[in-house]
Amino acid sequence: MSVFSRRTVVYMILTAVLVLMLSPFGWLVITALKDASELRALPIHWWPHEPTLGNFDQALTLFDYLGYARNSLTISTLYAVLVTLASAWAGYGFARLEAPGKKAVFGVLLSTMMLPGVITLIPTYLMFAKLHLVNTYMPWVLWGLSGAPYLIFLFRQFFTNMPKELEEAAIVDGCGQVRIFWRIFLPQSWPVMATSFILSFSWTWGDYIAPALLLDDARTTLAVKLATGYTNEHGAQLSNLVAAGAVMYVVPVLALFLIMQRGFISGISTSGLK
Amino acid sequence: MSTGQLIDQTAGPRAATSSARRPAGSPRRPTSLRTRRARSFYVFTGPWVLGFLVLTVFPLGYALWLSFTNADGLSDNARFVGLDNYREVLSDPATLDSLWRTGVFTAITVPLTIAAGLLLAVLVNQPIRARGLFRTLLYLPAVVPPVGAALTFKLIFDRDSGAANGALDAAGINGITWLVDPYARYVLIALTVWAVGNGMIISLAGLQDIPRELSEAARVDGASPWQSFTRITLPLLSPVIFFQVITGIIGSLQTFMPLLIALNPTPAGVTAVPESNYFYMIHVFAQYFANGRYGYASALLWVLFAIICVVTFVIFKLSKGAVFYSVEPEPTKRKARTIGGGR
Repeated sequence: MSVFSRRTVVYMILTAVLVLMLSPFGWLVITALKDASELRALPIHWWPHEPTLGNFDQALTLFDYLGYARNSLTISTLYAVLVTLASAWAGYGFARLEAPGKKAVFGVLLSTMMLPGVITLIPTYLMFAKLHLVNTYMPWVLWGLSGAPYLIFLFRQFFTNMPKELEEAAIVDGCGQVRIFWRIFLPQSWPVMATSFILSFSWTWGDYIAPALLLDDARTTLAVKLATGYTNEHGAQLSNLVAAGAVMYVVPVLALFLIMQRGFISGISTSGLK
Repeated sequence: MSTGQLIDQTAGPRAATSSARRPAGSPRRPTSLRTRRARSFYVFTGPWVLGFLVLTVFPLGYALWLSFTNADGLSDNARFVGLDNYREVLSDPATLDSLWRTGVFTAITVPLTIAAGLLLAVLVNQPIRARGLFRTLLYLPAVVPPVGAALTFKLIFDRDSGAANGALDAAGINGITWLVDPYARYVLIALTVWAVGNGMIISLAGLQDIPRELSEAARVDGASPWQSFTRITLPLLSPVIFFQVITGIIGSLQTFMPLLIALNPTPAGVTAVPESNYFYMIHVFAQYFANGRYGYASALLWVLFAIICVVTFVIFKLSKGAVFYSVEPEPTKRKARTIGGGR
């Protein structure tokens, strides 16, 4: 502490960690810019001598990249819209209404947040197979319609803190609970809706196991196809195409996060914990 | 729940308010509003309860039933085999090995990630310039979808074209074939710790809840920064750390990502996983896909579920006394970042 001030030491540690944490992104981009022959150069080229964007063209065309991106987009949007509305719906019930058994149901809801998701996956697959829902997007519709415990909890926290007067005035005017929810509470909760939408969208965009289990090769998502699609006829991985494909897969998520980060980080760090 | 408890703080006064405002001619009984609110509660929470029963409870029960049969998905006449599958779980070396490997991985990565996240949280909580930027950028890796992260690490640790061997080469050290035994486990640990931003944000939120007066008072009393950290900050942070331990263990025991770091991440290729990354969940999927053993795979899943329940219970018991709730009366709860997403 004598030579450097405490603050300087903090800066130095943080900068070092940051460089280490961000370097994988750098390597991903560098690999995506390398020609297949340059990829094998020895010693390694830390910066491509002849950077090329051709990998991105090939990554888009080797398989129907945009088609799989559309599948991902469809599933993710479908799930995110439904799960956000359904979670707001259930969250309203837990926040503003009373009934026998509420405590028990809420306890079950909280404990399901601890339930390991993978456990139910295989039996869920078998169940959907019996119902002929495999290879359709119906599982995501059903998952969406029932809401997600964590998001229900977020909405419940938000709705609990809203003033009682809003509801009382509406009841005096003869509004039913459904209309109070739809007309008064839901429009007020747009920050939570945005957080919920982004979270649930990125869960589905990033999910690998469920689409790998439930969807065939034509209908699967980009996450699945990206992991298996870029190989040559001998089954060897085409690393520069993987890198280009991964850049296009990851960048939209990162961009969305960077645009929304202020609300997002505070939403994640505070709403779930209070 | 007794009927007396039903007249709670929210429904009670409101019922009184609206009946007071109701015109004298209206003969509605005061219970009717409460009944309607109760009915509304079931309408609002019903879809989730129904979904929970159909999409969670039923599959769990289905798996339990399958685990007592020799179902293989091909023939319809699955036969009841009693405890045979469970007996095999206890005697199958592949099962016990993969369970042990998963446990060791959990024992390494969970404390490592929590400690690193806590350290970063303390650092970005210092009064420094651009700390918002540091927070955002350090969190960034945690936003990368798991498949994107796995593929990125696969590129970095590629034997010929990866940066890891490039750096070793520049230092005059021979390259390492990272994605096979025994090095594959280190790649997986690095990949897991890369998402340290999640823990950092949770710990940071915990740190910001601690009143500053406490550490200032300690400093006045002559406590060193280290003493103030271990005697004040850590105990006050214990619920947040406890929460991370629980969700971390649950998530870690379900680790599935090694599959993507392996060479052929197709269901049929599960056995191509490097042995040091042949985890319990991979074993489950190998039994399920490669061998078609639905019954045995279901038994494996139920054993994992039981292990998770026991571990969670034991940690809850052990932490009594160690976890210190001063500001918040109940443990903090948040969805674990699992591969299955928000189901």
